[in-house]
Amino acid sequence: MNGGVREGAPVLLMDNVSFFYAGERSGAGVAGISLSLCAGELALLCGRSGCGKTTVTRLANGLAPHFYEGTVAGSVRVCGLDVARAELWETARLVGSVFQNPKSQFYNVDVRGEVAFGCENLGFDPADIERRVDDAVREFDLAPLLDASIFSLSGGQKQRVACASATATSPRLVVLDEPSSNLDFETIARLRAAIVRWKESGAAVLVAEHRIHYLDGLADQVIYLDEGRIAHRWSGEEFARLDDAERVRLGLRARSVADALRFPERSRLAPDVPSRSDDGRAGQTPRKAAKPEKPPIRFEKLTADYRKNGAFERALDVPSLELPQASVTALVGPCGAGKSTFAEAVCGLNRCEGTMEIDGERLGKRDRRRRCFMVMQNVNHQLFAESVLDEVLLGMTGDDRGQRALSILRDLDLDELAQAHPLSLSGGQRQRVAIAQALATDRPLIVYDEPTSGLDLAHMRQVAETIRGVRARDATQIVITHDPEFVLSCCTHVAMMENGRIADTFPLCEETANRLADLFLAYDRP
Amino acid sequence: MEFLQSGAGVRTVRLDPRTKIVLLFAVSTVLLLGGNGPAMFAVRTTMLLFPFALLAVSVRVRVAVLMLAAYLGTYALAVFAAPALSGVANAFVVASATVVSRFVPTLALAYFVFATTTVSEFMAAMARMRMPDWITIPLSVLFRFFPTLGEEARAIGAAMRMRGISPLRNGVTYVECALVPLMSCAVSIGEDLSAAALARGLGGPAKRTNVCAIGFGALDIAVIAVSAAATALLAASLTFPGAIA
Repeated sequence: MNGGVREGAPVLLMDNVSFFYAGERSGAGVAGISLSLCAGELALLCGRSGCGKTTVTRLANGLAPHFYEGTVAGSVRVCGLDVARAELWETARLVGSVFQNPKSQFYNVDVRGEVAFGCENLGFDPADIERRVDDAVREFDLAPLLDASIFSLSGGQKQRVACASATATSPRLVVLDEPSSNLDFETIARLRAAIVRWKESGAAVLVAEHRIHYLDGLADQVIYLDEGRIAHRWSGEEFARLDDAERVRLGLRARSVADALRFPERSRLAPDVPSRSDDGRAGQTPRKAAKPEKPPIRFEKLTADYRKNGAFERALDVPSLELPQASVTALVGPCGAGKSTFAEAVCGLNRCEGTMEIDGERLGKRDRRRRCFMVMQNVNHQLFAESVLDEVLLGMTGDDRGQRALSILRDLDLDELAQAHPLSLSGGQRQRVAIAQALATDRPLIVYDEPTSGLDLAHMRQVAETIRGVRARDATQIVITHDPEFVLSCCTHVAMMENGRIADTFPLCEETANRLADLFLAYDRP
Repeated sequence: MEFLQSGAGVRTVRLDPRTKIVLLFAVSTVLLLGGNGPAMFAVRTTMLLFPFALLAVSVRVRVAVLMLAAYLGTYALAVFAAPALSGVANAFVVASATVVSRFVPTLALAYFVFATTTVSEFMAAMARMRMPDWITIPLSVLFRFFPTLGEEARAIGAAMRMRGISPLRNGVTYVECALVPLMSCAVSIGEDLSAAALARGLGGPAKRTNVCAIGFGALDIAVIAVSAAATALLAASLTFPGAIA
């Protein structure tokens, strides 16, 4: 299938394209976008949140203006096809797409059907589809999952299915919109391998991404967007040579795995919270509490099971674990290792056994629900009230609760938004409202589930700063994350989880930073 | 979470989706409209056992037992509460137990249909029946939409428990707290699902092909025959109330 395109002609050609979303639709418009991408090349779109990266990917696969309505000017051509005018199903013959959220990009409930879905829609011959599905399944190592329900897969496995499904139609252009947001290092390595294969097979690849380290050495062009316009354009080599200070000034994440895993200079020089003079010591002697007068939080015999095909399997098995008070522990490990199950068990939200001890007090499941708090990955699940202030007051007691609520909002930089509706806030602000709920009800332990997925450098640092601020109020925190840059910017300890067990724990300081690197890199080459 | 999951791998009964639709229609009609007399009682009993049996043989024994217990419980309540209670209490208990007991078998069957049909099979069956896209596509989205919404609802429930919002303590507020985030989730899930499907060519004029093999076997014919017979008997007993004793 060559589509009658000349050898060497660009697969994707955007000429002075502008797009503005219609009506109240949220999304950043773009203007004056020109780019040309040939077969076997990769273009990386980067820039701060809301710079219009996603819009450019939507223009390439035709979702803008056909699904996301708006006004478009200029021309977008894929192998000569005028995408803005052609129907979406015509574009689908040439373009394969993978989206950010693995949860909501499937149409089928079974893996096999999902991989075949695009081919079926395009009316390929059933025998041909069988062959394509087999090839894609082999390429993405999906054979063991083929007959599984998609709902039982981990986020990483879902993203593999999405990639296989995009591959099965042999697209000329592959469009990826923040595909790594919810992925662990192992799946990111697989994603990189898939991109290499696409490039080798002669497909052009367009990626919009914040976490760009895994594209190191793969990008042929790097396009930096700022407020909907192309502000910089580099070749792959030029981008790699760019000064690191400039990279930070542009608000970009680490460019290589080595950069992402480098222990930050800053945190060594400036202790995050001035009041805590024992910071350094806390880092080096984790098993002994940072503050001798306060015993650590202790977990014992924490176990949980889950049902699989009618039989129970152990999902969590933590014989004992101690967290120093006011520490920030990064809980790392591959997708499906039991990190979320652990977090739910800690907060008393799932069926589990075992105990937890805070300040010498043993907490059962019901007590844990009152004393621990989880900031969920989709923070919208926990916003119920009509205004930010009501959200914080909900569950508070005492006569001075109004004043305390306002002081918490001030600490989290939310005081000006006290009367705003929670759903009118930005993602980061919503997250801080959830944290405010936890502080308002004096929870000694706060657990975060992937708080930085899909965040740019500035927002990631903002979350890190908030977590350091919460630490100053003596709350202990656990952060589930796949983001080493984030771990290095605010965590004091690391716990590695594997197959439902805590495989390793250590305090995080300059000397142990390489152990953290080992944990992440263990999965780099599958 | 096993809610409504369709595992294409575990399938002991292989019924054509069209057969399932016929059966669903027959079971719901017979059980809701009922009909009187010993003959219709026999027909009703046969039809109501179908869903539980199908669930049980398709390795969903736990659901089958739970549903059957719910049915027997409400049925027994309707029978034994009637003489024991009087006045408003009697009317309320008997009426609600009767309604629930009549719906449970249909719900069990709907569960079976959702849990054992893949989207691909469903779309193939609809295409064979020459259903237009505007009927097939929205219906096929339901297969994904409810389980996805179920996952969201579970997360919202957890968030509420964490904040001590409970149906007993908060009443109407509880419902409001649950619905507001659920609605906003439903909207964004629906939008993402549609975008992903359209970007992969759903709804084009090309005749959609299909890799799954559907078709009628001996079991399908047996199930359809029983469904047709039951519906016919019901129709007969309703038109000529005296004819079938």
